[in-house]
Amino acid sequence: MSLDLLRVAAIIYAAAAAGFLTYFARPRLTAAARIGAWLLTAAWALHVVSIGIACKEFGGLEWFSLRGGFVLMAWLVATAYLVVQRFYHLPTVGAFVTPLTLLILLPTLFGVGGAPGVAPATLRHPSLTLHIMTAASGVAIFALAFGVALMYLLQEREVKGKRFGMLFSRLPPLQSLDGLTQRLVTIGFVIFTVALLTGSLVAHTVWKSAWSWDPQQITSLVVWLLYGAMVQARHSGWHGRRYAQLTMVGFALVMISMVTLRVVPGLTMHAGTYAPPLPAELLP
Amino acid sequence: MSRRSLFLVGLSHKSAPIEVRERVALSADALKAALADLKCMEGVAEALVVSTCNRVEVFVQADADEPARHFFTSRAEQARDHLYSKEGDEAVRHLFRVASSLDSMVVGEQQILGQVKEAYGLASAVDAAGGYMSRLCNRAFVTAKRVRTETDIGRGATSMSQVAVDLVAKIFGELAGRSVLLVGAGKMGALSAKALRVLGADTVLVTNRSPERGMALAAQVEGTFRPWAELDQLLVEATVVIVSTGAPTYVVTAEMVKRAMKSRRHRSLCLIDLAVPRNVDPACADLDEVYAYDVDDMQKVVSANHEARRSEAGRAEAIVEAEIMAFAQERETREALPVLAELRQRAAAIARAEAARTLQRAGAGLDERGRRSVEAMAQAIVNKLLHGPTMRLKDAAASGDNGLPGAAAALFGLEESEPTLPPRRGQGNGAAPQAAEPENAK
Repeated sequence: MSLDLLRVAAIIYAAAAAGFLTYFARPRLTAAARIGAWLLTAAWALHVVSIGIACKEFGGLEWFSLRGGFVLMAWLVATAYLVVQRFYHLPTVGAFVTPLTLLILLPTLFGVGGAPGVAPATLRHPSLTLHIMTAASGVAIFALAFGVALMYLLQEREVKGKRFGMLFSRLPPLQSLDGLTQRLVTIGFVIFTVALLTGSLVAHTVWKSAWSWDPQQITSLVVWLLYGAMVQARHSGWHGRRYAQLTMVGFALVMISMVTLRVVPGLTMHAGTYAPPLPAELLP
Repeated sequence: MSRRSLFLVGLSHKSAPIEVRERVALSADALKAALADLKCMEGVAEALVVSTCNRVEVFVQADADEPARHFFTSRAEQARDHLYSKEGDEAVRHLFRVASSLDSMVVGEQQILGQVKEAYGLASAVDAAGGYMSRLCNRAFVTAKRVRTETDIGRGATSMSQVAVDLVAKIFGELAGRSVLLVGAGKMGALSAKALRVLGADTVLVTNRSPERGMALAAQVEGTFRPWAELDQLLVEATVVIVSTGAPTYVVTAEMVKRAMKSRRHRSLCLIDLAVPRNVDPACADLDEVYAYDVDDMQKVVSANHEARRSEAGRAEAIVEAEIMAFAQERETREALPVLAELRQRAAAIARAEAARTLQRAGAGLDERGRRSVEAMAQAIVNKLLHGPTMRLKDAAASGDNGLPGAAAALFGLEESEPTLPPRRGQGNGAAPQAAEPENAK
């Protein structure tokens, strides 16, 4: 049920993306952007209903799996964009962010929801809920920053290279994109910090040690340091192309680590892969 | 009997030099008087005068174009050699094209529509424009609006200063809280600095080697004069720097900009060099967060935009043609020439159906523009084909010939309307134009 609903939401997301992209290609069709925004809101609403139903179906355990994480994150990216839309009038950003949402959502449409193999006792830890919520929101905001930074780099190439073509006229001013990237990175960083702290707390109770050189912990720390350094550098007036590039690198790191650490079994103990006990014959 | 038609006599930037145009151009008050004079002339039912700095055109709904011609020759004898004149649909087309800015010096500029609206307002204020002009002008405004919204003819800057504004807007968005620095007293520089005011710059700083000229310039652009010696400091303060001096060398060197960028803590800087020979070292463009452009870069944008507008003009012409047809149709329906109206309706329906059929078969590869062009083409073919028969039918109707409309109905297979309309209407048509049907264009 929740999966069917999610698939319908994905179709509406696709329609919204089509609306935003149509507007991007033909800026005179302002109606396309409006329709895109409406469809995005509709998809977003359906998405949250699907999340609610999934909570009932799987007892709220599926958010602890990679698939659940992606479902949540896609929703949060859409949320973040809808919030940004309220404050900045940049409908062209929709043409970049909506497809990104769809891209994050796509792999989850073919999986089945379900609980990871984690002992339910662990999952009831209150800081774990906070950890997952903040981690997903932080990454979602980084995803949005990634999209905006990409737009910045494309526009910068046009402006600096004196290519005043299609992208030049359609993309927003550099300064707006730069400012939005910086703001998103800062907000994302604050939320991500909370995710890291609560994560350590969970690790402390579950693994009996807040830091255990787990690959997930290491990459998260690297990402945190990277974005932290960027937030710091912003105060000294640092901005522009390299800022945008690093914003993209940070998000790419998050995505790569999220996927590879799950795909290769036994690499990390994070998020449940550790749960099923190894068969006795494999133990030393 | 007399048959009235729309006549246009005029001269424009294309046909007459400024010396002639200025002799016949009129202020609003003089125009009102001239319109009243025109209206009083023998055989003139309605009149409209479009007078701008690029054109003076007299439209009359009359028996002949002589009154309109007289308007010019009475003011300047030498105007006679520069006049062009058009009649009927040609005159209608001209007005539609003018209102849509297809005949302008800068194709796609937006002012002309307002000027035509003003001209109509004046003409109707002194009762020179009546029912026909009102319908004609409204149709012209509709055409212009369609051209503006359905094509990209008005897009893209066509002057250097406008390009500068576009560029700066794409880098900084707006300039509130920032300043523009104008270096040197070149004319283009002053124009651009003024144009940049649109973006809300807080201050315009002006510097020049000669303080006298600099101060005069500062007054002209409503800026603040700063001595030339402060140039280094000014490069740190300003966000946009427009350079146009007469100096034969680089006034702003890469070294200066490098130093300035350090003090600016790498806040972005836009350098616009409008001087030839160049005043800004091209190496500046390689520095991070420095956006530097020279005259060539700007000129390229201007020509590209002109090119783009010209390529849009074709689509605009198709809209004009469609609107001429719609105007003719509207007139026919109103004139109660049912055979003609029926014929046109039928033909238009066929055109629509055939266009739809073609589009269904071959339209998959076409975008919205392509589809519209196919539709416009079908309509244009029908329009042209029916032009001759339309003229004959109107002549026949005007001269009270009942036979031709009936024959046309039979010939074109408009059977269902035949028993009721053509014979009865034929008589009505015979009388109507003689009574009062000024709209009966040739």
